[in-house]
Amino acid sequence: MSVFVNKKTKVICQGITGTQASFHIRRSLNCGTQIVGGVTPGKGGQLHLNLPVFDTVKEAVAETGATASIMYVPAAAVKSAVKEAVEAGIKLMVSIADGVPLKDMLEIKEMLRGTSSQLIGPNTPGIITPGEARLGIFPENIHNRGHIGIVSRSSTLTYEAVLETKRAGEGQSTVIGLGDDVLIGMDFIDALSAFMADRQTKAIIMIGRLGGAFEEVAAAWYKNQKYKKPVIAFIAGNAIPFGHKMGYAGDIMTKGYISVQDKKDALNAAGITVVDHINDIHFKLAKLK
Amino acid sequence: MNIHEYQAKQILSSYGVKIPKGVIAYTPAEAKAAAEIVSAHGPWVLKAQIQSGARSKGYFLEKEAGSEGGIRVIKYRRHIYENAAQMLGKTLVTIQTGPSGKKVSRIYIEAFNRVEKSFYMALAVSRVTAELTLLAAVTKDEDVLKTALNRPNKILKVRLDLAGSARPEQVREVMDFLKLPPRSAKHLECLINALHRAFLEKDASMIEINPVGVLKNGELVALDAKISFDDNALFRHADIRQLKDDCEVSERELQASRYKFTYSEFDGAVGCIVNGDGLALAAMDLLRDKNIDAACFINVKGGVDKDKIASGIKIIMTNPRVEGILLNILGGFLRCDLIADGIVSAASEVGLNVPMVVRFEGTNRDRAKEILENSRLPVIWADTMEESVDKLAVALEEAA
Repeated sequence: MSVFVNKKTKVICQGITGTQASFHIRRSLNCGTQIVGGVTPGKGGQLHLNLPVFDTVKEAVAETGATASIMYVPAAAVKSAVKEAVEAGIKLMVSIADGVPLKDMLEIKEMLRGTSSQLIGPNTPGIITPGEARLGIFPENIHNRGHIGIVSRSSTLTYEAVLETKRAGEGQSTVIGLGDDVLIGMDFIDALSAFMADRQTKAIIMIGRLGGAFEEVAAAWYKNQKYKKPVIAFIAGNAIPFGHKMGYAGDIMTKGYISVQDKKDALNAAGITVVDHINDIHFKLAKLK
Repeated sequence: MNIHEYQAKQILSSYGVKIPKGVIAYTPAEAKAAAEIVSAHGPWVLKAQIQSGARSKGYFLEKEAGSEGGIRVIKYRRHIYENAAQMLGKTLVTIQTGPSGKKVSRIYIEAFNRVEKSFYMALAVSRVTAELTLLAAVTKDEDVLKTALNRPNKILKVRLDLAGSARPEQVREVMDFLKLPPRSAKHLECLINALHRAFLEKDASMIEINPVGVLKNGELVALDAKISFDDNALFRHADIRQLKDDCEVSERELQASRYKFTYSEFDGAVGCIVNGDGLALAAMDLLRDKNIDAACFINVKGGVDKDKIASGIKIIMTNPRVEGILLNILGGFLRCDLIADGIVSAASEVGLNVPMVVRFEGTNRDRAKEILENSRLPVIWADTMEESVDKLAVALEEAA
């Protein structure tokens, strides 16, 4: 088992004929991902990387039965790509693009409300279930199968967390990068609740960061769960001094949850193990055994 | 991207927000002439244009700027020139600028508006719920921050729809909360809808009016204005892009932004090179534990252009504050060997004169190591982030 994606997940790629897309789709195919086709408007009917290319997501879904989409479309095109995928009934979308406008994300979030579709990202390395499915840009060679779920709000620290599982002699069930942006699709609660329900996952690493109140909200949720798995958390950004700000609206929005210490306190109070250094994670993982 | 108060006011004015009559001035003589234009009699308000809040409670680093802050109410015409001369070219420090402050290169001269009362109003995005949120409070200046921390129920938050305008009951809710006189009702509705439209049409990330003044006749006037724009959406707003004031950011920051790298400066002595903000944050946390502070970090993101990467690395190598360099690269999208090439090319141009610890992981790590070993640059190797920080701490001590 794993969460959200496995070897049975049928995946299409939006923007498949681009250079980066081709590079990463080839790698994803090599590590077992069931990629069944791609979408590039105007190139329907062609074959690319031996995969059928469609003009629209709707056609691709009808022909292949895909339920997930990995998007290598540029930031300015993410909104329309998500809209098309949601309307075609895609359940899980992953957007890699860095630089999606805030307003587009507000509209995307509104679009997703009340649907059963989920978006991972944008500005994320994606999601990987080692040996089964890779939707994104993960360096797959550092991954191995195991029992640790990873969910992270920092792309590069996701890889650090993966290396920590290795140091503890463990592997990963599924690794989810939530994305580094101000607004994100899937959040900690979505990922944590999936990991809680997954039999393969025995413990979870959660990587948070300064900014937003996503960690506090997740802590409150975790506290109220009846059935829990151990969660080890690291929050980056303790050394960032305040200042260089414009106005107060940002601070008001976070209701005073402004420092990394506040986040750590909230997680601790919820029964989550918080480490001060990311390289301490493997010690805590080893102790769980 | 941030803009100055007078620019923000012009934009809001184009959406129908009432603003005091004002003129911008770059010299004391211009300031004097500006005062004549905006009002035949005093008082006037002289406002230092730097992109920061709390200017009135700020202070100037230079003694000759006088003891008053960056917002000055001037009663007599003869004092305009003198005060403008005091502020222009000087450095204003506020709680939001940090101790080094910001240089005042222009001042905005406004007619003074006598108001019955004032309130705080802003539009921002709630990150967790991903909603556009109107903030209102009967308070002003930095007091609003204290209110947010200690008495959050004193700040009203109203969720606005993305499409259309604020609903009548929402406007009434704000009216009641702020206890505004009935004659202000239609002005409040206009104000909220103007902010709403400006926010969405101009791709703002934050609009703040601190404070809004209530005139005797019920009209509402924006006595201050701040707008931050979403950098990711600037590509569709040529008019906003040209408002960028390069004086507001450091030369290095400007260079980095040309290559689309993020670059931040702090008060310490270590330069960090990373390919993710989180990585920089985590490295700086580890440094902090050893009582070492960062001077700057550059995030080269998923760079694929060797020359750009080299230029980015040069920004760190040539920063005079930097006494040691910490490089942490986790190659995924980004290839480690491109970074190694960048280091070699940057060092050959500007020299590597401080200790540098290098840690590679991920895509093409071994190739990167080979490139650096062949270059014979005196870099120190590390296998984990923690080790990289430990080794840099030792190297810094030896160098001292």
